[in-house]
Amino acid sequence: MSERPFFVFPKWSDWLTKVFVVSTLIIPIYLVILIAYGCSARTLNVNYAPRQPVPFSHALHAGKLGINCEYCHTDVARAAYAALPPTQTCLNCHSLIASKSRELQAVRNSYGTGKKSLAGMSIPWIKVDDLPDYVYFNHEAHINAGISCLVCHGKVNEMTRVYQAKPFNMAWCLNCHRNPAPFLRPRNQVTNLNWTGKNKVKLANDLGLTVQMLPHNLGKYLMKRYHIPSVKQLTDCETCHR
Amino acid sequence: MKRKTRNFYIYVNLGLVALVPFGLICLARHRRTTTPRWAIIQDLDKQPYYKPQRPSKFFADGRAMRPHIPGTLAQQDFIYVNQAETRAHPHNWAKGHVVLSHQKIYDAILYGQKLVHGQGQWLTHIPIPLTKRFVERGQVKFNIFCEPCHGYDGRGNGPVNQWDQKLRREGSPAAGNWVPPSDLLGPGVAFLSDGMIYNIATNGVGTMASYKDQIPVVDRWAIVSYVRALERSQKVVPVGKLPYPIRTTLKPLKVEAKPNEKAKS
Repeated sequence: MSERPFFVFPKWSDWLTKVFVVSTLIIPIYLVILIAYGCSARTLNVNYAPRQPVPFSHALHAGKLGINCEYCHTDVARAAYAALPPTQTCLNCHSLIASKSRELQAVRNSYGTGKKSLAGMSIPWIKVDDLPDYVYFNHEAHINAGISCLVCHGKVNEMTRVYQAKPFNMAWCLNCHRNPAPFLRPRNQVTNLNWTGKNKVKLANDLGLTVQMLPHNLGKYLMKRYHIPSVKQLTDCETCHR
Repeated sequence: MKRKTRNFYIYVNLGLVALVPFGLICLARHRRTTTPRWAIIQDLDKQPYYKPQRPSKFFADGRAMRPHIPGTLAQQDFIYVNQAETRAHPHNWAKGHVVLSHQKIYDAILYGQKLVHGQGQWLTHIPIPLTKRFVERGQVKFNIFCEPCHGYDGRGNGPVNQWDQKLRREGSPAAGNWVPPSDLLGPGVAFLSDGMIYNIATNGVGTMASYKDQIPVVDRWAIVSYVRALERSQKVVPVGKLPYPIRTTLKPLKVEAKPNEKAKS
């Protein structure tokens, strides 16, 4: 007499194994990949291009006319914050060129109120490339170390409406802080967004003599020349967070 | 249809449906958005402190930054002047420079003027010792702030002027009443004293705007030095007009003709 087992799974219970495999393996893996892709900084942050109160085109001013970044963002090489220009800077030219343009009405209004009293009305500009408030980014330090505007802001001289070109998350910052050499360029080329770095570079060294640098040596040379801190110092928490 | 093949089609369809979210995300990645990202977890991204150029509800004009008070200097400018002053020690000065008293250096550097018998007089020389670095700094600043209108060569045909000429040719009303910028190498500027050029860069003249808020004091003087350097570089005097003692020291320049030029002749 054969012994009957205590319990036998019925035939219909086969689908439970399928449900188990799908719910514990396939769906979680699918969700993890989906969320990692959908919530990555590249997806969430890049291509934010708000409509500004005045449709200022960098493609025309910085691109076609070739006006230097520093003409408007004057403080970029000597302050932590690259300030937006006062409306007075716009009217350096626009008091004469396109002086009756409808798009510039807001600029003229702001300038008019500023003339009457110190507290002129600002144009409520929208910040595009914004960092969290616990990050203390310093433009002066980066510009004087030979980091181009391009590295963080992209090709602004080709943007009709400025958009966020880089993800601005910490992993992206560390990308350069861990290995700054390939991102460096001579200080006088920092605001030149068309610089390719493929040609020989002429530099004045500490003694005022001219040195020629090949592209593959340039990064290493500039690391010494501009006294770029060690990687340990650059990746220290305190460097960016206080 | 067999049950197996039916199941197979179901799985394929499910797989395709599962790819749809990825496609949507991919589309969203490549499209410009006018709205900022959603932040489900704020993570102290926005903290209750003021960053530069941020709005404030406290002040009537809605700005957290306070305007510049007339009659005062920013600390940054003060440091610049101080540095210039220490470097402007009479021992460092080239021959022929006007030696100013310690007190008057501020006036000279800030306003391009010195007081003579209680009256303002334009400085004839730059009150900061000229070095190669200083003039090169002037070149850098000139190429940033003056070049858009006056051009790299200072002839008054910068890209902004060219753009306006283009608008004018097209008959666009945007051309406005633009006045072509002056030729910095012409006699109009050559006869100005250094102090007057500095004053023009500071307060503007005619249709040119004031640049005192955009360029710090010492950089404005550096630009004056570079304008002078540009003038000298363009000033070509015929040999016949040179004074005799100088003419005798000159040697004829031997230019070796290039082979293709030889072939032409």
